[in-house]
Amino acid sequence: MPTHTPHYPDLLFAAAARLRRWEGRLMDLLQRSGYAELRPSLVMREAEGENRVRFFDGDHLVALRWDFTEALARMLVRRFPEPPPRVSYAGAVFRRPASSWEPVERFEVGCERLSVDPGERAEADLELAQLLMAVPGALGLQGGLLHLGSAALLAKPLEAENLPETLAARVAACLSRRAPHRAFEALEGHPAARRLTEHLERLSQPPDGPELLDTLGEGPYADLLAEERSHLARALVRLTPLLPEGLTLQVDPADVSGLGFYTGPTLRLWAPGAQRELAAGGRYDGLFPQLGRPWSAAGFCVRLSALLDLAEARPDLFEGSEP
Amino acid sequence: MTKDLMIALPKGRLGEALMARLEGTPLALDPGALRSRVLRIPTATPGLSALLLKGADLPRYVSAGIAALGVVGSDTLDELDADVLEVRDLGLGVCRLSLCAPGGVSLEDLARRPHLRLGTKFVRSTAAWLREQGLTAELVPLQSSVELAPVLGLADAIVDLVETGGTLRAHGLMELHTLKRTSARLIASRGSFLSEPRRMDALIRCLAEAAA
Repeated sequence: MPTHTPHYPDLLFAAAARLRRWEGRLMDLLQRSGYAELRPSLVMREAEGENRVRFFDGDHLVALRWDFTEALARMLVRRFPEPPPRVSYAGAVFRRPASSWEPVERFEVGCERLSVDPGERAEADLELAQLLMAVPGALGLQGGLLHLGSAALLAKPLEAENLPETLAARVAACLSRRAPHRAFEALEGHPAARRLTEHLERLSQPPDGPELLDTLGEGPYADLLAEERSHLARALVRLTPLLPEGLTLQVDPADVSGLGFYTGPTLRLWAPGAQRELAAGGRYDGLFPQLGRPWSAAGFCVRLSALLDLAEARPDLFEGSEP
Repeated sequence: MTKDLMIALPKGRLGEALMARLEGTPLALDPGALRSRVLRIPTATPGLSALLLKGADLPRYVSAGIAALGVVGSDTLDELDADVLEVRDLGLGVCRLSLCAPGGVSLEDLARRPHLRLGTKFVRSTAAWLREQGLTAELVPLQSSVELAPVLGLADAIVDLVETGGTLRAHGLMELHTLKRTSARLIASRGSFLSEPRRMDALIRCLAEAAA
């Protein structure tokens, strides 16, 4: 088997300065919006999982922090009887990547919006989207695309059709590749094959404006997804007048990359010319109940490592000659 | 600033068939450059060029975002871990990925062998099919002339692409089972598609219409 050297990035002068500057600007932005910083330990006791960087601390197998959201959730459950409503974080996470050229150590800044009252969810989702809209400006990024999606647009039809878990995962993988023709092959013989494929064709449209929601309204699961469509439509109406210059807001209903984790609206930030998303997040109401607390939560994470790569590859996308 | 875009096209029969269909469209390749040995060919659309690549390398150029779009066989795509979008089945170069064995040998005969050896270029697809069927086999990786393997005793059977079946018959082999249908797929760089959806959608439509 060939051996790949994992990518542990050393940041030299300009990149190191850029990272520190961006972290500072984003944490300022979050603090001004009421998000207080928490710093979970770099070492996590939950070492199970394929993509973790693990080592023995004496007799105990532990892992380097692989995900801020989970590290924060475990910390909040351990230390708080009621959740603080707004928390933020900055630092590195360590994950074995799917591709050898991706870094193991990744720098992130992010925030989580927590609540006990389910009635606060819709406003919390809008608050986060609005906050993410301010991120490109804080980083000096000229232009960007904010994509709104919803994990439920696929999860609910799959559940309604009683698809076995493995087949549902295959269908989600096909949608993530925008390949409804592959989903049709995977669903061969299933009574809902045509219906689900038609739905996936609608979801696979390129990201666009509210008219995409109209397309879903004419599809086979129009009634089942009425609430999600209406939530996305309301979000577009509320957020569009607030868009900063250079930022475009679109609906991307094929955003299912975190389908096992997200339970509701999702957010992605892209820039023209970027090969990876620059920020991602959404509503994940399943995590805290799994940890024994009836709290709902949503958040987003700005991928500073992806932004550092973008600043090297496309400096023209940033204000001034030195991003 | 709008960056120039590149489309990756496969060398070989599929590429030639596709280039013939692109003639007269905004994606037509410059005939002068095609006659030369250069591998980056201007098209009829300014700011858009084509890269001529081997199929196995092509998805890597697309997943890295160097080429915004590409055309590649689904058989090749299924053997790689490329993070690309597969936006259209172009319906070109349709073949079957099939299990083939010498005449008189049945699928049941093969399944009963304690140590089955399968020669193939398509190791991942074959391994996935074996898993689905609950079978085990030693996979003998081969790059070309796979039909020789069972004839000369290197393998008991082969998994290979079949279009008409002529080469199989010439070597006394028979198709026992079709693993999957394969065809040319239009793939897109995830980053290009999501960050410039309108520009990419126009190109995708143009390429898909030309290929139809």
